[in-house]
Amino acid sequence: MNRTTLKVAGESGMGLLSIGRIVAKVLKSMGFYVHSDREYPSLIKGGHSNLQIDFALKQIRSLSREVDLVIALDRPGLVEYIENIKKGGILVHGYERHHLIKDLAKRAKKRGVKLVYLPAHTIARNLGGSDVMVNVVLLGLMWRILGFDLKPLEAAIKKQFASKPQLLDIDLKCVRAGYKAEGEDDNPRKIPQYKISIPKTKPKTILLDGNMGVALGAIEAGVRTYFAYPMSPASSILMYLANFSHETKMVVKQAEDEITAAQMTLGANFMGSRAFTATSGGGYDLMTETVSLAGMTETPWLCVICQRPGPATGLPTWTGQGDLNMAIHSSHGEFARLVVGASDPTSCYELMQHAMNYAEEFQIPVILLSEKTIAEAQTMVPIFNSKIPIKRGLVTGKDLENLKPSDRYKITKSGVSLRWLPGTSKAGYYGNGDEHKEDGTLTEKGEEVIPMYEKRIKKLETLKKVLPDPVVYGTKSNADISFIGWGSSKSVMLDVIDEMKGSGVKVNYLHYEYLWPLKEKAAEKFFKNNKKVHILECNYQGQLANMIEGTTGKKFKGRLLKWNGRHFFLEDVIDYINKNS
Amino acid sequence: MSRDYKTLADRKNEYLAYEGHEVITWCAGCGNYGIQKALERAMVLEGVLPNNALFCYDIGCHGNGSDKIGKEGIYTIHGLHGRVISVAAGAAVANPQMKVIAEGGDGGTMSEGINHLIHAVRSDYPMMFILHNNENYGLTTGQASACTRKERPMNGSPDGVASEPMNVCDFVLGLNPSFVARSFSGDIKHMTDTLRAGLQHKGFAFIEIMQVCPTYNRQTPQKWYLERTNYLKHTPKTIESARKAAKDLTNKISYGILYQDKKLPNYMDRLANRNDIKTTPRDEVKRFNIKGLIKKFE
Repeated sequence: MNRTTLKVAGESGMGLLSIGRIVAKVLKSMGFYVHSDREYPSLIKGGHSNLQIDFALKQIRSLSREVDLVIALDRPGLVEYIENIKKGGILVHGYERHHLIKDLAKRAKKRGVKLVYLPAHTIARNLGGSDVMVNVVLLGLMWRILGFDLKPLEAAIKKQFASKPQLLDIDLKCVRAGYKAEGEDDNPRKIPQYKISIPKTKPKTILLDGNMGVALGAIEAGVRTYFAYPMSPASSILMYLANFSHETKMVVKQAEDEITAAQMTLGANFMGSRAFTATSGGGYDLMTETVSLAGMTETPWLCVICQRPGPATGLPTWTGQGDLNMAIHSSHGEFARLVVGASDPTSCYELMQHAMNYAEEFQIPVILLSEKTIAEAQTMVPIFNSKIPIKRGLVTGKDLENLKPSDRYKITKSGVSLRWLPGTSKAGYYGNGDEHKEDGTLTEKGEEVIPMYEKRIKKLETLKKVLPDPVVYGTKSNADISFIGWGSSKSVMLDVIDEMKGSGVKVNYLHYEYLWPLKEKAAEKFFKNNKKVHILECNYQGQLANMIEGTTGKKFKGRLLKWNGRHFFLEDVIDYINKNS
Repeated sequence: MSRDYKTLADRKNEYLAYEGHEVITWCAGCGNYGIQKALERAMVLEGVLPNNALFCYDIGCHGNGSDKIGKEGIYTIHGLHGRVISVAAGAAVANPQMKVIAEGGDGGTMSEGINHLIHAVRSDYPMMFILHNNENYGLTTGQASACTRKERPMNGSPDGVASEPMNVCDFVLGLNPSFVARSFSGDIKHMTDTLRAGLQHKGFAFIEIMQVCPTYNRQTPQKWYLERTNYLKHTPKTIESARKAAKDLTNKISYGILYQDKKLPNYMDRLANRNDIKTTPRDEVKRFNIKGLIKKFE
């Protein structure tokens, strides 16, 4: 594989994240493409966690399961990852109680892994640093092993700790000591070194996570109010929007619960601002009554669900795609909605804008599915520069003078009626959660119920006609093996397609970005053009697979499913291809 | 009052714009008739035109008035049980220049949605909230609410309720509110004056209306309330004295503005990032150039 994979493993609170951020930034500044994600338990300090950075000369969007270089900051980091290191890979550590890791050398030898030790604690302490600075010493050592020039790293550290000059001095000493592999003993150290080609050009990109994509998409789309209740892994959207709020002047409100967040979102959209909310599955459960109200009152409404595995609290800091059925089928009653699935920061950014437009134009609730791995993985994408116009579907200007109250919920062929904002016309209306007539006045008469009920659901067909089709990546047709998927599956599949080029195995992938209403014709055509079609989903049931099979009558050749809280690694798919093609 | 009648006569067209045209479905003798009438009058007397207001209704008997107000020019939303304060707060934040009036019953507000009330008081949203307190769940046929008096047998609790009843105004006064008032559904004039004061208030105006329920609350009919009225001559100056006035719901029930702090900044005034902003989030919807924001990711 044409990438290098680093893993920093240690206790939460040992500064993995700051090390990871620095390394990713320096690699980016050197012209590499970077993709980075972390695994951590739902604790602030003390649990074991790791951060992985893959980098390459061309764009990468996923992580490799097998790593080249592991930096272990704690004992679990040292003993848990050795099986994931490639043959010839390197395990760097500063663990000074050798008797506790006796069998490590044996295991390393068996796997062909080189162990590199530096008494990092002692070094850090001798330089006046704390235990936390072990990570900086080992960072320096890692940089040496990677064979890179120390200067850009030093510059990045200077920038990072500019506000703490006293610490900065020690940090710089520590990173230099690590780079020189200085021990306090006299043993000469054999430091292995990689030879990694340095990029000749620097791509014009940004490095950010999916939740930042969501936040920036919302800002770009003219969203002026945001209401949310903290829940991993959606909470950073609240933080990002709040931190931008002095520049954007947006109202950012942490509500008392998800029900309130959902209701305030509905109220603000009803009044005519643009508003949205974000949460994870459990928080969305509380919002479902509001989704139903949005369906009934035909009020634009938008929620981002950053998925993590359930049920209940499940795996709060891990990833999955288990909430597709929930997004499509939640809430009482029958009504039209749109469900879309983002796959990376760019799609988060662009889909937010489209989602807001669809919500307003079709006057429906919209659910944008993200995943923990999309929400938090830092990845490099082209600089955002969308030209997506704001479409609100509102009656404005002179047309407001000719409205009647009954225009608001007029029975139309498309199911979509005129919408204007409260107070902008002399024709008022009742936004009624009870079944109603065209002006919103209540009715329980069967013959009046039927057309209104139908009108609301008809929007689904109208919407389906205008939604973009799923896109085929890789070989257009007659592939040796084909996949259908959604969400983060796209990222790993694009990398797989790149990796399989020249292997002789033709691979393609049909990506569903717009998930509901389901555009089943695209799947039918894909099945027709390809003989071996498999599904790729991070859930147990194969939720999209079941939906496609149920609608088209086609059968998937096989199902690559995963529900352990981990996303698909590159090798998961490549191994599957090797077995099934 | 005569001056008010004259004003109402002068503004006949505005007043008629608030008159409903749908058949009203409340029980004969229900307190809701008086409350809706007083609200219409207060709106006209305060000079609020129908298209400069949004009326938000909860689910409950009062909520069946959501399409009984106004003829053509009124905007209302009829939402979910217990959630009206939140939906109205969202609307009020989106456009604080429009009057947002929310109404709810003691069932939805004091049980299912009590958290929304608490945090709306804390947040001091720019809106008025009218609590219709008839001390029971009327629309679901007379079950006990958080305000039902202990000894009363109710549908679903034939031996009376085993929980202590809540004193709503006392409860809200404990939350450091900016405006708390109480009125009575049998006194349209008092309700009109109280609602006008609520409409003038810039923050969260909380108004409890003790409401007769001729169907499910026969223990405290109109006559019972009339024998126990205590119209406050002055607004208590401190929260402590207001709580003292609010306490008695048995022998001498206090009506009027129980507490008001006109100086407290409302929610919009408290937003540090919007001190210098004159527009509303509703008027600000347009593309925002993110170029400056993404610089740090390059």
